[in-house]
Order: sequence, then structure tokens, then C-alpha cells
Amino acid sequence: MTVFKILLRIPWHLLLLAGILALVGSLALYSASQGSWQPWAGRHAVRAIVGMALVVCIAFIDFSFIKRMSYVFLAAAILVLLAVMVVGTGLGVSRWISIGGMNFQPSEPAKLSVILALARYFSSQPHDRMRSFVWYLPAFAIIAVPFAMIVKQPDLGTALMLLFGGLVVVFSAGLPWRYVFGSLAAVLAAVPLLWLQLKVYQKARVMTFLNPETDVLGAGYQITQSKIALGSGGFFGKGFLMGSQSQLNYLPEKQTDFVFTMIGEEFGFAGNIFILLIYLLITIAILRISFRVNSRFAQLTCIGIGMMVFLYMFVNVAMVTGLLPVVGAPLPLISYGGTSMLTVFIGFGIVASAIVHDRRQS
Amino acid sequence: MFRAKTKDLRRTMSRRGLLLAGGSALLTSFLGARLFQLQVAQNNRYQRLSDRNQFDVRIVAPTRGRLFDRKMRLLAGNAESFELYVTPLYVDDLQQTLAALGQIIELTERDIKAVLLAARKGPSFRDIIVRNDLSQRELARLAVRSPLFGGVSFGKSLRRIYPQGALACHITGYVSPVTAREIERNQSLEKTPYLGTGKVGVEFAHEIYLRGLPGRERIEVNAKGQSIRVLRDVDAISGKDLQLSIDVGVQLQAAEILRRGQLAPVELGSLQVQRALAKDSDLQAHIALGDNLILQDAKDRLVPPESGAVVVMDIHSGEVISLVSAPMFDPNLFTGTLLTRDWRRLNSHPRTPLLNRATSGQYAPGSTFKMVVGLAAIEAGVISKNTQFNCSGDMELGNATFHCWRKGGHGMMNIISALEQSCDVFIYKVALKTGIRKIKDMAHRLGLGDLTGIDLPGEKQGIIPSHEWKLASQGRVWTPGETVVSSIGQGYVLATPVQLAVMTARIANGKQAVTPRLVKSSGDAAPDFAPLDVDPYALAIIREGMFEVMNGGLGTARNYDLDKSLGGMAGKTGTVQVKRITKAQREEGIVNNIDRPWAERDHALFVAYAPVERPRYAISVVVEHGGSGSSTAAPVARDILTQLMQKQG
Repeated sequence: MTVFKILLRIPWHLLLLAGILALVGSLALYSASQGSWQPWAGRHAVRAIVGMALVVCIAFIDFSFIKRMSYVFLAAAILVLLAVMVVGTGLGVSRWISIGGMNFQPSEPAKLSVILALARYFSSQPHDRMRSFVWYLPAFAIIAVPFAMIVKQPDLGTALMLLFGGLVVVFSAGLPWRYVFGSLAAVLAAVPLLWLQLKVYQKARVMTFLNPETDVLGAGYQITQSKIALGSGGFFGKGFLMGSQSQLNYLPEKQTDFVFTMIGEEFGFAGNIFILLIYLLITIAILRISFRVNSRFAQLTCIGIGMMVFLYMFVNVAMVTGLLPVVGAPLPLISYGGTSMLTVFIGFGIVASAIVHDRRQS
Repeated sequence: MFRAKTKDLRRTMSRRGLLLAGGSALLTSFLGARLFQLQVAQNNRYQRLSDRNQFDVRIVAPTRGRLFDRKMRLLAGNAESFELYVTPLYVDDLQQTLAALGQIIELTERDIKAVLLAARKGPSFRDIIVRNDLSQRELARLAVRSPLFGGVSFGKSLRRIYPQGALACHITGYVSPVTAREIERNQSLEKTPYLGTGKVGVEFAHEIYLRGLPGRERIEVNAKGQSIRVLRDVDAISGKDLQLSIDVGVQLQAAEILRRGQLAPVELGSLQVQRALAKDSDLQAHIALGDNLILQDAKDRLVPPESGAVVVMDIHSGEVISLVSAPMFDPNLFTGTLLTRDWRRLNSHPRTPLLNRATSGQYAPGSTFKMVVGLAAIEAGVISKNTQFNCSGDMELGNATFHCWRKGGHGMMNIISALEQSCDVFIYKVALKTGIRKIKDMAHRLGLGDLTGIDLPGEKQGIIPSHEWKLASQGRVWTPGETVVSSIGQGYVLATPVQLAVMTARIANGKQAVTPRLVKSSGDAAPDFAPLDVDPYALAIIREGMFEVMNGGLGTARNYDLDKSLGGMAGKTGTVQVKRITKAQREEGIVNNIDRPWAERDHALFVAYAPVERPRYAISVVVEHGGSGSSTAAPVARDILTQLMQKQG
């Protein structure tokens, strides 16, 4: 396949949409630092450009190579997660690992490797086997091991994202409906057990979510201030750099988890809806690719990655609008944070590779 | 078979993919709905919350309007005053800092407690007032040490001052910090810091006019509470200045003349005075008010100045030129933090300096009431100018005897000579023929028994008794004897000095029912008073009688007439018994007024208008326990009118 053909097949519309989000992110981070490219906005923009270049590079990698390597990726991810447990850094938690001065959060790429491993597993199974629950057990193991390790870090938010991302792949692979409902029941039954595993601050977050006004200056502070910032933005917002909640530091974590709130304060309902629509377009674009690719592996991988990005967005927005507890989920491509952005772009790269190298396209 | 199944699987996967796409769209619209709820539907609510976050709203007190006298001399103004603030956020140990400040400036235990309480209650970035009214010396001492005190700052505000001191205290009243009870009635007062409200006097009566409207500024604060900038939303609107009808020059002389009375000044430093001061609690209370005038009476006893009231008013416009109530107090004591010591002194003073005697002191009018009886009788046709009755010194009614003040009697009297010599028996007889109902009616027409409506709070309306009044208040019927006692302004009859001035002004004016006012009228437009509706012929006779009081050979005030070059005056004396004279005492010979204890001596009253031809001013004088209306009150009125007329001349 010629370089020209590859370039032609790359899903540029996906890159365009990602670029818009990264641009919005840069502007938001510029505002978050009171109108300065330091310390976040500039680096965010550079990373986005690097990330988009990375998508193009990955598109050149033969998709069958990615398929072959998928179990290796999973093994590597698990090893790195193990390493984090030993040498991880972070305040009372071990989420990050330092490589040459750069902090790296291994739970992010772990999600991708789980999606790839699951896709690989289901693509290699003959269809008639897929009716028996036994054949789903290895798939659940692929999800459960990294999930448990990330919960231990502890990073409940990322772990749950990994869990749901994985379950979406299992669901797309054709899990019979009876098992779908059976698992839902099992999850509900597991809630009390999970509760016991939670750290005190995690429990506080959940309690605060259920009743944020009880502790306005304590654990409920973040969500209360977030709702004030969003609500005071109105339809068109207070204007760029004019968000009083954000500019006066009432809004916590405005460069990471609460960046959506800040955009909402400065650009209002209109700005927020615009962002939601971009995410929806990205998700649908990737799902559309999943319908066009030939192999089951490619199809499942695309669905997994598309839904992963969507779930991220959904959990983040639901969290800052007070619909879900504050679990710590970034807004993909907009929140400041290298690992999460890198993961999303690698995911888009894999999607690009899937369509570029698809048999049916040629 | 396998192919078919694969195809089947593909369909399943595609279906699930579509399901996920649909689910995504559904969840996205769900988020959109939530955002709509927060950002559009509930926008107002969150906008308010955001403002409250962002801004610390501060109310700016308006500048209070000033008070001037009729010649634009300042009666009440505003002076810069300095306060000390502390910001808890920047103070490591608040208690220690306050203790250290207490070494430099005067800080009471209560001040410190209040600051600590405010620090606990409010946000740490908000300034708390530690002390107001810092003296120049305290300011200097603090300024030198200010580098040692982090989080301590100065503020500047306006404090009410009364440059005339005690002189106009009962006219201006005073302004003092808002009280809890005022806030109960008007919540908006609480939010204005350091706002003073008028408590008595014109400051109270014209409060809204003088106060102005508070402004509002917002201090933008960040999450740490540091202020970023100040936004002035609404400028405070200053209160309006008010020009009063009072003439400070006349006021000063009236106060001096009233207080001096017939007493002689003494040297304060003399040994005799110091000795008396050590013993006499009345003198001590007087000196404690900050007044160092001590006088000597006819028996060489050291006494405080006379107490009483003087009201001088214009008989055409109703403008009050002077209104004195003695003793007085310094209204400046109230404007800052009133010291408990001063408050106790004012309240425990035996002569109640806080009472405005001119409007709230109710006195039996005594013989000054005889004009009312005379007017009622002439108007009713009971007597004419020449109707005569004999005064034998007393009058029998039933089994009671009513005496004239003159033991031997006055002989044949008509209304003019009865006023001139203040004959009681003539008035008794006329009153019995006229009846209390007509007397009461005349009294009300002359302004007695009703509020005059002067713009001062707490005015009393006095008492003009009648059948109905007695039935309602005591449940008993009126007796003719009570008509007799009332006719000479004793018994139940009570009037305030300002009412007596109004009565005199109406007699002198003759046409209009003049009412008193303290605010100078703008322009020359004469105020529109109701018609007086009293027979002009009757008024002329009464005025002639009042003229004879000063000019008749036996006039009770013949020695105290206003100099003829100033136009002379027409008046009426009144001497009011405070303690009833018993029959035994009368037979023994009455104890001389001056030999009785002060509180049992007669009140001395005098009312007059001047000049006689084309009158302009009316005056009423009450000297509490001053003795005789002629020898004590009349000269006070004469001296004040002399000063006033000379100024006019």
C-alpha cells in the first residue's frame, strides 16, 4: 500500500474533531491561568499537535501487527501497574510513575490494552461457543485483573471506566441478553462489598454526592462551586476570561476535572452544548468506522475505543453537573494531563490503522 | 452453516453497535437537559450565589445633612473621626494583639469581647472595628507603632458634632448609633455600618430628611478572601441640610438670662464655694455635667443655676427664635460611644437635664390662664369691659372658701384691673358665670390642651379639664369649686411652655391660629394658618389688660416693662403653688417662699408679647421654683426681649 493511499484513508474528520476539542482545551487552560500560556495552555497545545502526529504514525502500522501484539500489551500494562504499586508517586496514593522526570499514569493505557485484548479474545472464538457463559469467563478475567489493581491504587474513577469500557466490548461481542441482565444484578449485589473496600475520602465523596449541601465548605465544596459556576454562566456565559468563579479560584481543579465547568461559566450553555455535540460526533464517527471494517477484531476495537471516549466525557460531565459523584475522571482532549490525552490519541491511531488497513476497503 | 452463523454474529454486533450509538445520543441529550436545567432554567439562582461568592457587599453610610440656625451658623455638623480596625486573616494571635493594643489606647473588656465574637462569627477577611473616635494622641501613638501590628488598620468616618455644645441641645437633640430596637422596626438599618440615627430633637423629627440614602459598594474577593477590587454600585446620597428658625445669639442670651435669674454669680475657685461643693449633692451633680456656673441666692446660699424653660416665637410666622430648657446637656456625649459614667450622671441628676421642659414639661399655668377665662367670658357676653365685681380677699362657695392672693382683697374690679393686679376673686366669679365648658373651648382655641405640633418628639399636650375629662379620668362629676380652682390655672390645668407661648402669640396675632415651627421657612411666603376665630373685641380688652400689667399703677409687673424705646411689652405674670397651703399655715402666716426647700417653692411664670403696637414676638418663661412670676420670671422675659429687640433695631 502506498503512502498516498494510506494518507487518503486516514479518517481526517476524526482528527479535525479531535483538533477542535484540543483547541477548546487550550483556550480553556489559557483562561484557567488568568490569561496565560503558562503553565498549562501552551503545553496542552504542543501535546495535541504531537498527539495528532502520533495518530498519523500509528495509522501506518499494520493493523494485524496490533492484533498480534494485543495480549503482549495487556501483559505489559499489568506489569507496569505492578511497578506502580511498588514505586508509584502521589499524595497517599500510588497512581503515577516517573519516567525521566515525566509523570506517567499507567492506568490510562491499561484501558486500551484491555479493549484490545478483549477484542482479540472474542475475534478468535467461533460463534457457537459464544452462547455458553463459560466462554465469557476469560474475558471477565481480562477486565478483572487490571480493574482490581487500579482499585488498589486507589483510583476508583479510572477503574470503573476500565470496567465499563471492557463491558461495552463484551456486550458488543454478543453477550446474550440473559447474561447482560444477570451481570447487572450481580453488580448491584456487589455494591455493598465494594463499599467496604472504599477509602474514607472515597466514601465521603459518595456521601457528598448524595447530599452535597450538607457540607458546603468541606467535601461538598467542589460540586457546589461547580454548579454555581455552571449555573451562573447562563446561556452565553460571562465571556472569555470573565468567569468570576474560575478566575477567583472558587472553582477547584479547573484545569483538570472541572475544566468543563469553567467553559460553562465563560461560554455558557451554548459553549457546553457545542462541546457535547463534538463528542457525540466523534463517538458516532468511530462507531461508523466499526460498521465499515471487516474483521471482528477491528470492529470490537473501534467500538471499545469510541465508547471509551464517550464514557469518559459522560462521566466527567455528569460529575461536574452533580449527576454522579466526584470520582476523578478527566474530560478527554480538553483536561490538562498528558497521559490521558496520549491514550486518547493512541486510541484514535488504532482506529485509523483499523480502517486504513482494512481488507474490505481495498 | 458457519458462514451463516458468522453473518448472524455480524448482524448482532452491528445491532449492538447501533444500540450503543443510540445510547450515546440518548445520554448526551440527557446531559444537555441537565445543563439546560442548571444554566438556563436556574440561571438566576446560581447568578446570585456566584455574586455572593464573588462580592462582599458593603453599605456605605451617607453623609448626614447639617443643621444651621436662621443666620446659617452651624448647629450640627460632621467631623472626621478615626477608627481602628483589625483583619483577623492577617493576625496570628488576635487576643494577644488586642491586649497589646490595650496598652496603647483605651480598650474596655467589652470592646475586646465584641471583637473576638465578631472574629468568630464573620469571615476572617472582614475588617472588624476595634475602637472608634480615636483621639489625636491615640492616633499618633498607634501610628508610630503600626509596623508592629500586622492586620491592624485605620479607617476614617464622619462623626456628628454639635459646635454649640449644650446650648441648643433640646432643639437639635442628638445622633447616636443605631439601637437594637430601631433595627427591629427597620431591618435595613442593620446593614449600614456606623450609621447614627437621631434619637431626640430635630435630629429625630427630621431624621429621614437629614439621613440621606446609603450607597452600596462591592468588594470583589477571591476564594481566599483577599479583596481584588472595589466596585461602587450605588453612590450614597447625602442627607439635606436644614436651616432652623433658631437664632443662636438670642438662644445664648436667653439661656444665660434664664439660668442666672435673680441670682448673683460667685467665684468658682473661692474657699466658700469649694466647701459648699464638698457637702451639697445638688451642686456636685450640677458640676459633674461639666457646667461650672454656681450662683448665690438672696439668702447668700450657693445654688446651681435656675432650671426652667423659655420659648420665644414670631407671632406671624410661628418660627421659634429661641427654645431653652435648663439644665442642659452636651449632645456631643452621645455621638460616639456614650460612657456609662456620663449616662449615669445625666440620668441620676436631680433636675433631669435630658427632659425638654419647653415641650415636655407640664406646668400649672397659674394666673397666665386668666386671659383664657376673660376671653371666654367676654365672648360669651357674661361680662363686658366695664362689668365690675367686688374682691373682698376671699369668696365663699358652698362650705369652701377660696382666697385671693392679696389678703385684704382688691375692692371693685373690672376685667382690665383684674388682669393688671391679677385679682383671683374677680376671675373666680366670672368663671362661675361662664362655666368650665366655654373656658375649655377657649383654651383649646388658644392652643392649650392640644399638641402644638412643633417639630420635636415627645411633646406633651397638657390638660384642660372639663366635665367629660373628669368623668373619664376619675369617674366623678365636676364641681363648681373645680371651675374656681381651674380659672386661676391651678388644680388639674397643665400646660407646656411652648403652649403658653403659642397662646400669647395667638392673643397678639388676633387673626390666625399660629403654630410653632423650628424649620426656617424658605422665601417670604407667610405660612397658611387656620383663622383664630376669637372675638376681636374680646381680644382687644384682654390685650389692654396685659398692657396694664406692665403699665398700670398697680400692675404686677410694672417694674419690669421693656424699655419704651424698644416698643414696650404686654404680659401676664403667674405664680404657681407647688405645695398646697394648709389652713393652719395660712393662720400662722405663710412661710416666705425663699425659706422653703427648693422643691416646695412656687413656680414663677410670665408670658408676654412685644412690641405693644404691631407686636412681633411672643415669649413664655417658666422658672422652676423661682418664686414670684413678677419678680423672677418677668425680668427674664424683659431682658431676653431687650436683647432681641435691640438686635432688630
